[in-house]
Amino acid sequence: MSGEPKIRVLIAKPGLDGHERGARVIAYGLRDEGFEVIYTGLRQSAIQIATAAVQEDVGVVGLSILSGAHLSLTAKVLEELKKQGADDLLVLVGGMVPEQDKQALLDMGVAEVFTSGTPVSQVAEFIRQNSKSA
Amino acid sequence: MADEVKKDESGGLDKVSKARAEWEEKVLNPRVAKFNLPKSPTRFHTPADAEGHDFLEKVGFPGQYPYTAGNSPIEFWKAYERLAVEADFRPDWGGTRGVGKYGGFGTASDYRDYLVRMHSMGRVGGPNMAFDLATQCGYDSDSPQAEGEVGRVGVAIDSLRDFATIYEPYTGEKEIDRQPSNFTINAPCVVILAMYYALAKKRGLDPARLRGTPQNDILKEFIARGTYIYPPKPSLRLFRDTLVFMRREMPLMNVNSMGGYHIREAGATRTQDLAFSMANAAAYVEAGLSAGLSVDEFAPKFTFNAFGGSMEFYKEVAFHRASRRIYARMMRDRFGAKKRTSMIIRQPITAHIGCSSTTLQRPLNNWVRACVGGMAAGMSGAVPGVFPPFDEPLGLGHSIEATQMQLDATRVLMYESGITDEADPWAGSYFMESLTDETEAEVLAEMEKIEAMGGAVAAIESGYMPRAVAKSAYERQKRVEAREDLVVGVNCFTGPHEINVSINREVEPTYDPAQMATAEDRQKAALADLKRERDGAAVVKCLKILRGHATDEAKNLMPDIVDCVMADCTLQEICDVMRELFGEYQQAKI
Repeated sequence: MSGEPKIRVLIAKPGLDGHERGARVIAYGLRDEGFEVIYTGLRQSAIQIATAAVQEDVGVVGLSILSGAHLSLTAKVLEELKKQGADDLLVLVGGMVPEQDKQALLDMGVAEVFTSGTPVSQVAEFIRQNSKSA
Repeated sequence: MADEVKKDESGGLDKVSKARAEWEEKVLNPRVAKFNLPKSPTRFHTPADAEGHDFLEKVGFPGQYPYTAGNSPIEFWKAYERLAVEADFRPDWGGTRGVGKYGGFGTASDYRDYLVRMHSMGRVGGPNMAFDLATQCGYDSDSPQAEGEVGRVGVAIDSLRDFATIYEPYTGEKEIDRQPSNFTINAPCVVILAMYYALAKKRGLDPARLRGTPQNDILKEFIARGTYIYPPKPSLRLFRDTLVFMRREMPLMNVNSMGGYHIREAGATRTQDLAFSMANAAAYVEAGLSAGLSVDEFAPKFTFNAFGGSMEFYKEVAFHRASRRIYARMMRDRFGAKKRTSMIIRQPITAHIGCSSTTLQRPLNNWVRACVGGMAAGMSGAVPGVFPPFDEPLGLGHSIEATQMQLDATRVLMYESGITDEADPWAGSYFMESLTDETEAEVLAEMEKIEAMGGAVAAIESGYMPRAVAKSAYERQKRVEAREDLVVGVNCFTGPHEINVSINREVEPTYDPAQMATAEDRQKAALADLKRERDGAAVVKCLKILRGHATDEAKNLMPDIVDCVMADCTLQEICDVMRELFGEYQQAKI
């Protein structure tokens, strides 16, 4: 992958949920997989996340949510990305997502949902296959 | 290395070492060669590995220093195990002297109605409150930060009025000076505690009779879990204020419920879990000492909720033996504790597998995993508690089946296996004693490292502790992905012929989803009513006094916060006063 510009990924924690393990592991893991990763830290609003995505010029936004509020929080982030003209980004959701909510997220415009136990390499592969940037 | 032993006073260890060398040469090594292994995958311990092991110094009797063999020779659950059978006891229902199941959702009245429903079913335990994330982070329900979070992972509390609503069913037999409460609250603990105190006052009860346990373990929030508000130093000052206030005004209350559970679940190793939580405990002790109290005046009211757990059975048993010894020695030798109750780790459970050992894949396997944890618990000084229910990773709410299986598994271990008939059954095992020593040595080394940095607060401020946990989490992930650590159904035995055994996911109805959907609006409406109806001048006055006192580090803020909640100041208004003065914690870069 030498010479090619690195795919930039924003890992974000929307809402007040403090379960950070998944976000941190994915951030470290994707970095080792050769991506440029920016991790927002905890308690980010939809506006903050969308703004960071635009400013950092990322191709991928990964939302980590374990509070059960994944439907409303994801919808808000997608709406804000659209407002800021960044609705072409690859948006991924990770965390505690019950099977029945998965389809709802995909219908909203999320590219893929990764639940616990997913290898980082699988997430990396998905990004490489589906990211338009780079 | 322990095989190298002195001659005469070694009590025949020389002979053992010689015999071992011979065994290795004639028996072990040929097997290693036969199987073409790089080294032996098993170990075997002999008396030579426990050379110089001083039983009285290192283990002692159950209930005696250094408590390696247990906090007590007979724990209450053991004493009453027959009684529990006769009474058809369900620990999660609380009984009349304990707290009920951990829970909370929706508005204050939603949670109150739930408690009433529980009482009507004979589940009469005191409130064991989960708060929503807005409350935990010091925001009111009408705050923009609270949007979408109100009443979600716990009940929303904006004011004393909400708090009083929850307690409406707790009168007469269930009066709050008769039954304890648990509050899983950390950063705004000062406010919740003030509400509990104020509620007693308003009911004409003596707060000195109140029992209960706030989590009040703010330091671990910076390392894991993340519901902090202020930076560590002012947070610790508020902890000190709660400690002093409780000892003076509510002496039956437990001061805190510390632990390494959240730290390990966030990815920490066993050593980090214990070392970090011991360092945190030391910081809490120092906070009490700095207020001029002696350690025995408050340490008996320190409690632990849990340390972390894993599937590594032997290591978890050793962990608990080591943890008791480390804490007892720290409390006695470093802080001068004299009371037994200052030196023991008071916690409801010991070993368990930790929720992060459970898998989403083939979830019924989690039942087997949890039983392994139950065995480790039963062998390390606690009820052989099988935890968590197997459907833990499937989302909020354990199914009725999973809960029943968890309870019964604990009962099977307790009443059929006899594993709790021996206190510290591993005492004296060459292997377990050396593993306990190893665990202790590693933890003490890490504790010294933190001490050299300036203690827990410094190690949080520098980002050392949170970063170390994140790194360990990633190391684990790498080991799983590389199949160094094997997890059945996740990274091995996942072929197409394996099946996902179907399970029932019927969850006992707790709330009506339609009602939940309106919780945020209803809670906001109630808050708007409060803001309209209360005496605005009194609110302003109380907050002003609080602001004035908060700048003086020596001042205990609890009395002012009690005045604030009595005057119907909201949780966020109180927290905002301190936010302005103390600032908000900014995470160190990971």
